[in-house]
Amino acid sequence: MAFIDRGLRAFRAAAAALAVCMFALLGAPAATAAEVNVYSIWPENWARPMFEEFEKATGVKVNFVRFSSGEALARVVAEKNNPRIDVLFGGPVETFAAGVPQGIFESYKPPSFDKLPERFRESSGQWVAIADDPLVFMTNKKFLAEHKLAPPASWQDLLNPVYKNMLQMADARTSGTAVTRIFSILEVNGRDENKAFAYMKQLRPNVQLYTKSGGGGTLPVGIGQAGGGIFFIVDALDTKAKGYDVAISFPKEGIGTSAEAIALIKGAKNPDTAKKLIDWATSAQMQSLFAKYKINFVPANPEVKVEPSLAAVLQGAKIFPIDAKYAGANRKQVVDRWIAEVLNP
Amino acid sequence: MRPGVGARLRAEPALALAIAILWVLIALFIVYPIAMLLARVFVEDGHFTLTGIAAVLTDRHQVVAFWNSLLLGTLVGVIGTAFGFIFAFAATRCRLSPTLIRLIDVAVLLPLVSPPFTMAIGYIFSFGARGLITYDLLGIKGAGVYGMTSTMTAEAATYFPIAYLALRPMIAAIDSNIEGMALSLGASRWRVFRTVTLPLCIPGLANSFLLLFAASLADFATPLILAGNQFPVLPTQAFLQITGLFDLRGGAALSLMLLVPALLVFVAQRYWVGRGHYVTVTGKGAGQAPFDSVTPVARWTLVSLCVAVTLFIVYLYVLLLYASLVVAFGANEAFTLQHYRVVFTEGLRVLGDTLIIAAIATPLGGFYGVLLGYLVARKRFVGRTTMEITSMVNYALPGTIVGIGYLIAFNDPPIVLAGGALIIIACYVFRYGATGIRTTIAMMQQLDRSLEEASESLGASSSTTFRRVTLPLILPAFFAGLGVMFIRSMTAISATIFVVSLSWTLVTVKILENMTELALGVAAAFSVVVVAIVFIVIFAIGRVLRRLRAAGASAVTGLLAT
Repeated sequence: MAFIDRGLRAFRAAAAALAVCMFALLGAPAATAAEVNVYSIWPENWARPMFEEFEKATGVKVNFVRFSSGEALARVVAEKNNPRIDVLFGGPVETFAAGVPQGIFESYKPPSFDKLPERFRESSGQWVAIADDPLVFMTNKKFLAEHKLAPPASWQDLLNPVYKNMLQMADARTSGTAVTRIFSILEVNGRDENKAFAYMKQLRPNVQLYTKSGGGGTLPVGIGQAGGGIFFIVDALDTKAKGYDVAISFPKEGIGTSAEAIALIKGAKNPDTAKKLIDWATSAQMQSLFAKYKINFVPANPEVKVEPSLAAVLQGAKIFPIDAKYAGANRKQVVDRWIAEVLNP
Repeated sequence: MRPGVGARLRAEPALALAIAILWVLIALFIVYPIAMLLARVFVEDGHFTLTGIAAVLTDRHQVVAFWNSLLLGTLVGVIGTAFGFIFAFAATRCRLSPTLIRLIDVAVLLPLVSPPFTMAIGYIFSFGARGLITYDLLGIKGAGVYGMTSTMTAEAATYFPIAYLALRPMIAAIDSNIEGMALSLGASRWRVFRTVTLPLCIPGLANSFLLLFAASLADFATPLILAGNQFPVLPTQAFLQITGLFDLRGGAALSLMLLVPALLVFVAQRYWVGRGHYVTVTGKGAGQAPFDSVTPVARWTLVSLCVAVTLFIVYLYVLLLYASLVVAFGANEAFTLQHYRVVFTEGLRVLGDTLIIAAIATPLGGFYGVLLGYLVARKRFVGRTTMEITSMVNYALPGTIVGIGYLIAFNDPPIVLAGGALIIIACYVFRYGATGIRTTIAMMQQLDRSLEEASESLGASSSTTFRRVTLPLILPAFFAGLGVMFIRSMTAISATIFVVSLSWTLVTVKILENMTELALGVAAAFSVVVVAIVFIVIFAIGRVLRRLRAAGASAVTGLLAT
């Protein structure tokens, strides 16, 4: 059946060539010897410029498709015996941690490995972090004005009854954002699980919707269908950059942050170019480009400075890393408890 | 006297061959992927196991989700069929002006030809605390948008055109002389409707209920956005179980729970419809009705209802168009063509891939649907019922499961299709060809067998009879099947998100991606382009057909050619 597929590809090439003639918009993809196949969990508008820069720097062509973290992981697991890609790129560490026991990654330690703080790397090199992403409170300014409120500056502020049924945040079943949020709440409550869950249950009536993806609530908050929520800073700043009138604030008790990672796929067909991409992505070369493309991740590589306007937002914010060991050991139990006691009381 | 089944097959090698080929295809593209998936689910280290599954099935919340799904499917099935019937009846029996019919046709087809999520996104903007309808128009504060009502009405609005598409040719095919005779014998119009017209529509109504019920059971996109946390349904739960909790076993088990009601409805429908006799297309021709089928009051009620629903749908799509033409909906509403520029530069390859795949899948799926539908409705062979039921499995299962099954089955030898276009095409043909099968079977139940028997008794073979007699009569079903295949090939997502690859990807995957990353304008622009392409293609098909075909196909081509 492969020949049919080749035929179809040839047909598409012809169609593409025709399109070039007609629109002069699309260049036929140049055939390069070196390439690397990637599933990107980062949205295309961040991943594409990164890969284009990589191509410019190394001459290696990146073929990629974008999937949400869950879909990407489900695919890599299903393709385990005959991998289709070489690198899994971007996406919260939780996703990568879930992939490790499935045996889908090949350990690889890029040159930057030893420079990275411990929480930005899996000890045997199953994954390595490329960025850091703190959580923030994001609120709709019109909503705040209507209720004469200041942006929430404490976890307790979110319990205010004016937020009743007006907050959106991620669902812990599907979103790393939510897991980071829950561990933040555990942390500010001194890891006293009962106290933390009492808070979450108290917050429950104010939650309008637990969204599937971490950024799912940004648009509703932006247009005012929801009053506010808890999001990663990249999503929040992106909402603001789009022109939505939102306020970004941090709780005085502190809030957690989660790393974004990259990993080599076991049985990768292009291991050399894959390693090249991982070397590049974990180095200052890629992470110093975040600012140029207005990607508001905090670089994981300590050699790269945080971009000034992002640094200004983060100024004075109390941000703590989630202890990977503690989170790893308790994740399933805590999420199960969240489903049973908070989501479906 | 009829010869035995075996003797008939021996006498007709073409028939035997067709059946054999269909069985091979069904085994390969329906049974094999599901079997591979089940093997992953129930076998661990070479042992049969129920761990994980039991936990999911006894979970109180999953049981609630199961009943919610049944409730939702039933409501969508009933309400969608009712609206489909009202629209079909109004279009064929209320003497509407052709222009109005054409306008209604275009509008109600919109949800059907749109990528998923578009309707749900329209709801999010329209209802809720700052909804355009609830807040800006009606001034309601603190309105909620998430829950059963939104999910149900959005699904009903999305799927009722299927019922309309299936019921309209059926009502049009009912010989109005029958109704005329009842009227002239002194029956009231209501009595004629209740005792003549409605019973004749039962195969179609049951058929469309089944299609809508199955569509609702399989739909994860609408509840994902609209159901909220108070109204969990199984397809979404299964999707979340797999892509969120990385629990393939649990997700597959949840999906298998869905297969049970889907098959039950299907079997019930088969026996319920199978008992009656609904032949209205005989060798004798039918004339145009020389009388009014409805009273003026009934007519105005029906027409206003149709117009109201139509306007609501149009409103949602004006919203979509608007979102595609402004910088950022709700924040910066300055006019821009930037989103379309993205579609026609970065998105061009994806559009090309989608069109190529749709162009191949459509005729294959249309032919597969009519052939299989015809064989199980008319021919007697061993395993006929099994074939009919098996052919519905991929349609009845949630797309997530079908997609994962395909990925597992066709990623490794002996049959490697992953990464190519064929896996997507096969996924479409054997999932959405089911609509053509159902429509063909329902159509065949209205056709008098005597027409074919006459041909066969004159010495024509099965294939000649099929080609010369049956095919022209079931062409409406064939073209309806073609239309649905093309539409689905352009808009499906739940299964295909798992079979797209680096070399072949689809526009719906792109739309979903853009929607989830706040690029709403680009997502809207892609959706508008998809809707436009589908309309152009359907219009073109309709034009060609009108030129080529005779009266038999006019009912559906009229619809498709709008």
